[in-house]
Amino acid sequence: MKMVNQSAKALLALTGMVFTHTAIAADTVKVGVLHSLSGTMAISETSLRDVLLYTFDEINAKGGVMGKKIEPVVVDGASNWPLFAEKAKELLEKDKCSVVFGCWTSVSRKSVLPVFEKNNGLLFYPVQYEGEEESKNVFYTAEAVNQQATPAVDYMLDKKKEKFYLIGSDYVYPQTTNLVLLEYLLSKGVPLENIGGGFKKDGSGKIISAGKYTPFGHTDYQQIVAEIKQFTAGGKACVINTLNGDTNVPFFKEYAAAGLTAETCPVVSFSISEDEFRALPAKQLVGQLGCWTYFQTVKSDANKAFISGFQKWLKDTKVDGVKKEGRVTCSPMVLSYDGVYLWKQAVEKAGSFDVDKVRTALQSGLSFDGPGGKVTTQKNMHLTKNVFIGETKADGQFKILKEYKDVFGEPWLKGTFKAK
Amino acid sequence: MRRLLVFLGFLCTVALPGLRAETPAEVVAKAVALEDKTDEQIALIKSLAPSPELLSLLTLWKEGGIFLVDLPDKSKLPVLLEEAKDADGKQAALLLQSGKPYADADGKPLRLLASDLSAAETDSELRSAMKSILDLAGLAAPDAKSRLRAIEIVGMEQDLAKLPALKERTSSELDAEVKHALLEAIALTELKSAEPETVVAACRALGELGSIRSQDALRLLTKESGPQVKAAVEALQKIERHLVNVNFWGTLFRGLSLGSVLLVAALGLAVTFGLMGVINMAHGEMIAVGAYTTYVVQCVFGPGLELSPFGLHIALPSLKATGWLYDCYFVVAIPLAFITAALAGILLERTVIRFLYRRPLESLLATWGVSLVVQQLFRLTFGANNVQVASPSWLSGNWTIHDVGIGWNRLFVIGFAAVIVVGIFQLLARTPLGLLMRAVMQNRAMAACMGVRTERVNLLTFGLGSGLAGLAGAFLSQIGNVGPSLGQSYIVDAFMTVVVGGVGSIFGTIFSALGIGMLDQTLQQVLGNPVLGKILVLAGIILFLQWRPAGLFVTRSRSLEN
Repeated sequence: MKMVNQSAKALLALTGMVFTHTAIAADTVKVGVLHSLSGTMAISETSLRDVLLYTFDEINAKGGVMGKKIEPVVVDGASNWPLFAEKAKELLEKDKCSVVFGCWTSVSRKSVLPVFEKNNGLLFYPVQYEGEEESKNVFYTAEAVNQQATPAVDYMLDKKKEKFYLIGSDYVYPQTTNLVLLEYLLSKGVPLENIGGGFKKDGSGKIISAGKYTPFGHTDYQQIVAEIKQFTAGGKACVINTLNGDTNVPFFKEYAAAGLTAETCPVVSFSISEDEFRALPAKQLVGQLGCWTYFQTVKSDANKAFISGFQKWLKDTKVDGVKKEGRVTCSPMVLSYDGVYLWKQAVEKAGSFDVDKVRTALQSGLSFDGPGGKVTTQKNMHLTKNVFIGETKADGQFKILKEYKDVFGEPWLKGTFKAK
Repeated sequence: MRRLLVFLGFLCTVALPGLRAETPAEVVAKAVALEDKTDEQIALIKSLAPSPELLSLLTLWKEGGIFLVDLPDKSKLPVLLEEAKDADGKQAALLLQSGKPYADADGKPLRLLASDLSAAETDSELRSAMKSILDLAGLAAPDAKSRLRAIEIVGMEQDLAKLPALKERTSSELDAEVKHALLEAIALTELKSAEPETVVAACRALGELGSIRSQDALRLLTKESGPQVKAAVEALQKIERHLVNVNFWGTLFRGLSLGSVLLVAALGLAVTFGLMGVINMAHGEMIAVGAYTTYVVQCVFGPGLELSPFGLHIALPSLKATGWLYDCYFVVAIPLAFITAALAGILLERTVIRFLYRRPLESLLATWGVSLVVQQLFRLTFGANNVQVASPSWLSGNWTIHDVGIGWNRLFVIGFAAVIVVGIFQLLARTPLGLLMRAVMQNRAMAACMGVRTERVNLLTFGLGSGLAGLAGAFLSQIGNVGPSLGQSYIVDAFMTVVVGGVGSIFGTIFSALGIGMLDQTLQQVLGNPVLGKILVLAGIILFLQWRPAGLFVTRSRSLEN
């Protein structure tokens, strides 16, 4: 592959555009797509596969990357974490993919991480995550905690909220995020007794878990909602929700049935985007808040072009298993899209598909005008981007209430906020 | 829509010629047209004196009843749409500011398509401003419920300026609950008073009232100095005692309701597994059949439904029902869920289970296979995503009695469970079919000798058990997710309930369901951790079954099979 690439460049130098165009047209670069296309995560991750394929087609239609067409290699992680590692190995060792776009859950990322480090591969990871990780083989287009959770808390503090109830699904992302949030709230002068959900302490009295956690598939939220009702009875309170997937349905049904509303006690959710509303009843969530680095309702030309391009692609595509009706765009999709373009820019800047050279280019602060606004790569392999607070509407879209411009992505937050 | 008519009535009276100060409708129309400039919108609506007209305008706006027409000069014109639609779905439009028909330059009334227009939006800031206006006006609202809400909110603001308005209400308020809230709101507001005696008196009052919502304010007081501190501490202690009571009754109710959910889910299994001895792993899927039936009925009442399983195209008609008629969908769905699930159960019995009555292990494997097939059928028919089932309005409210919240859906499930239980007992004890069922279950061979058509009784019993599962599904769709894997999340709980209660005893199932529900909720309350509570319940059940393997109620049988 490298040889072909170099000879192509030599040709370019020697003979000029017209000749090379035909010479390189047959030339391709392999790019991996590693998402769950079956199993529990398929509902969310299939959308990312779709948007990646769309992006590749869009780039190929404009001549590809450095004159090479992108050839996607799509594999199915099947919501099975060890299988993710196997598939990653296959993509890197057998297919020799220059770059891989993939993973949704933190556990899938953790399981492929050693594979990418061993083979010196490059993974673009697009979904909000808990931070406390920085690998030279992963580029995190994802929202770090300070690009989602802390801005949301800032917004709530702005709205004169004094009490915060933390609730989440019992796994690494909510647990870590809530610990960071706890430190953050304390540093903002919110007293410990105004943070609800309970704490778990280790032997020395250090808090090792903050907030209320329920397992996946939990159905009975009566007790928790009754507790929230008492906690928030005095007003000026809000709920920070990191519940994942469909457990949100029984939670919000119970929440509404208990007479709690967005006006008396708003809920900010971090795991519900437009795409999730395809399976959630939006009506019960009207007025509740969300926080992402992109909403479909962002008003910009780049976003308009992205949405119409994607919808047109959906209509025309012949790829098997792409659902065509009722599709929306959401933050993880846009961050996947941004990732592909940033990689393309980095390759072109480096003049090579070599991972080390591409990484150096990525770390040099490349910018791309994406659907959610300008994004800029950072030295720590994260992304500076805009953060939006939105309010759920009855049609499952968000009305944007507030925008934080150019927020620097910071993965290492634990212990950085000092209590007052 | 009634609100719209009332509002139009107001317009007629207000917009008489001669009155030339800006009417509320004109001001609101101006505010609506400002769209995203929230601060200016708030300033405009706050400039108006509260009046019934303003209230109906704001409510209409809040609920998305005001639409915006794009004018050629890029400005927006707020209009209201009349209810009646013509054949193209177009509606007549009225100008918000004057109530006159929206017409073109020649004075010809224009008809508009609602889907072409955007509803005037509100954001939470604007809505809370609207709410503050509505609330103060709401103190005098005719119905007790909105009065109560308004009083609670005004109380929480602790704004001394609003004290006279509150006190004025005390003399005329008759409703006991509202009066309680009124006293609470007054005391809460008086906490902000500059005179220590008033504050002390207010603390005492709050303690007497057992006011949960005043806890935060009282805790703040304890950090000050003066006589208030002692009063506040005493009040907090009183409230704490009240809370213990609230939590006790609350937990009791929640335990009862969780127990009822378990009971409803397990009753069908108590019949098929308990009475018949068939280990039916597809029981969960029968629950899902009931839930999906509810979904389909809801769609038929609402927007209609198009399904395309296996390349077939099925379009179900739409009744386009709204209001109370739409809310009735659930009443229709309950019997249909029973029938559909019962038919599915009968089909399963005929095709699989009847060959396996004497081979429990095989029936376990076979029905597990069936459950996988059925789940896949759901996926192919309804898609892999969960489907949305909206609760009718009569199931989504709650009563609050002495601070114990009693959700209507929870109350409903308790009643629902009670009705089913009574129904089953009646069926088993009072009807000829019940008699035959009991006979066959006690001793199949003997019953057959006496001329009972055991095959047929098996069929009907299995159908009954499956139908009961369908009923459970209909209810579970109201409190949780409806998806292909719905059944899986209840099958374990259902088996657990039946085994603990004692296989073969419906009475035992009732006891164990309520017991497990209570225990789960109590442990959750005490430990403050939903996961730990559940683990302890499961561990407790394992130990219990070691001690009493046959469960709570042992059925003694005369048959020699065992």
